[in-house]
Amino acid sequence: MLKIENLHVAVDDGQKPILTGLSLEVPKGEVHAIMGPNGAGKSTLSYVLTGREGYDVTDGTVKLDGEDLLEMEPEERAAAGVFLSFQYPLEIPGVPTMTFLKTALNAQRKARGEEEMKAPEFLKTARALAKDLKMKPEMLKRPLNVGFSGGEKKRMEIFQMMMLEPNFIVMDETDSGLDVDALRIVADGVNKLRSPDRGMLIITHYQRLLDYIVPDRVHVLAKGGIAASGDADFAKKLESEGYDAYAA
Amino acid sequence: MTHMPHSLPHRGVEAWKWSDVNRAVADDMRGLDAAAPVQIFVPEGVTVTRTDVQTSANDTTLYKLASDYAGQVWDIVVPDGFTSENPIQIEGLTHGHAQISLRLGKGAKVQLVEHYDGQAGAFVNSHLNIKLAETAVLDRVIVQTDPEDCVRIATTHVTAWATSELIQHALAFGGKLSRLETRMAGMGQGVKATINAAYLLDGKRHCDMTSYIDLACPDGHIRQNVKGVTEDKARGVFQGKFHVRRPAQHTDARMRHDCIMLSETSEIRSKPELEIYADDVVCEHGNTIGALDESALFYMRQRGIPLSQARAMLTEAFLGSVFDTLEDEVMRESLLEKLRGWLARS
Repeated sequence: MLKIENLHVAVDDGQKPILTGLSLEVPKGEVHAIMGPNGAGKSTLSYVLTGREGYDVTDGTVKLDGEDLLEMEPEERAAAGVFLSFQYPLEIPGVPTMTFLKTALNAQRKARGEEEMKAPEFLKTARALAKDLKMKPEMLKRPLNVGFSGGEKKRMEIFQMMMLEPNFIVMDETDSGLDVDALRIVADGVNKLRSPDRGMLIITHYQRLLDYIVPDRVHVLAKGGIAASGDADFAKKLESEGYDAYAA
Repeated sequence: MTHMPHSLPHRGVEAWKWSDVNRAVADDMRGLDAAAPVQIFVPEGVTVTRTDVQTSANDTTLYKLASDYAGQVWDIVVPDGFTSENPIQIEGLTHGHAQISLRLGKGAKVQLVEHYDGQAGAFVNSHLNIKLAETAVLDRVIVQTDPEDCVRIATTHVTAWATSELIQHALAFGGKLSRLETRMAGMGQGVKATINAAYLLDGKRHCDMTSYIDLACPDGHIRQNVKGVTEDKARGVFQGKFHVRRPAQHTDARMRHDCIMLSETSEIRSKPELEIYADDVVCEHGNTIGALDESALFYMRQRGIPLSQARAMLTEAFLGSVFDTLEDEVMRESLLEKLRGWLARS
């Protein structure tokens, strides 16, 4: 489903290389975890996949279901089904959460040539989902993420993800800022989205999240590429042994 | 521009240094020596008559021009205790000079809606003199939608007596040069004012929001919130001053001007000022000029919202908050609709 080949990425106008030949394939239906030391380029990978400005791809390809992601604008990638759960979700003052999400959902539908979701159906779906995620209903009326706690923001990311039903999900440090109860709610949400048609890339520094969302494969990102890979147990080994062996 | 009986304000005058009217006005502009075809609609119980112009030695040149050309003053009187669902509407300030007086009696409460929709190539010079008797409340809305070659100076003097209130919201799109100037004198205890405005400028449009609030009595409460966006080579000007005299203790006055530049070639000039002689007051001013938040834009695009729509949503959210204090929901929505129309233009 997602195929990254020989990806080279630099920042600071191409002066500072971050990724230097990363190759990775996530087949449909699988959940892969990316672990690694701080500064290895984990967040860079998430931004390159979603098209943020400031990251120069100097070589390599990224394809989703055969389509060249790197040629697309960020909103086109979203419409193609790519969703990023942000490490630090943004506050959008003055835009109510429901307005934001309805605009996003219908913009994606329009881009795919689908019919827009009508307001009553949207409201019904959103309210039911908010209840599942144990979110306060008033959160949906407030400007997006404004005044939310770190945990509430992460929960809001999952809420958006479940509303938008993307094909390919990238989660960047979703566990940071979550207590154990919130982590379980978030993980339940993510696990519900696991399906044979959907791929996921979970970026995390700690193994904790992977107790709740058990990955099919675990990769270590170090020195600009994938330094090692293994199964779910490999994450536990990394947690106990650290990344020193790969970071040198 | 040389053929006027009184010289027009120019950049050599401090208060007009960023809005050079003399330079903007051309000899062939419509309305330079004519009265504006003013139309005033009032609710039943409010009277409109014509009275003679009163002049004094320290009249400004723009006031003198209005005295020369506007004909008699339009005199609107709202009786004591009057209230109405229907607004007073001022139309017809399309070109030429006008002098209008509006007096609200004790405890009167009314809405005033002014639509400034000038003609192409017009010059408009209007003077509105507002007197608020004790506990009167004026809810004033100004919508300025002039064409790009129109020059408009709209000057308002407000005299506010004890516990009266001015609630003013303006939406302005600029012109060849437009200046909306509000000068308010707080002459009684406990005067309240909300003076908010949003301006949206593109092309070579110029919009000047100038205000001078002079407080002479205690317990004044002033909130001023002006926001703008500029594109292309447009120019936004904000000049705000709070003058708090010695007796005006316990004044609570806050001024903000926040602006987003959507292009690097547009221009903002800003001069917020406080002049305070009373020692027990809360007065502040704030001024920011920035760009749209790139991180927020990326976040919105990542959710599938196209760039142009994301920009429009962020800009509307930024500007729209100045109308939160407008009680009339229908009017507020109508202003937001105009704002959206500007944001949605190609």
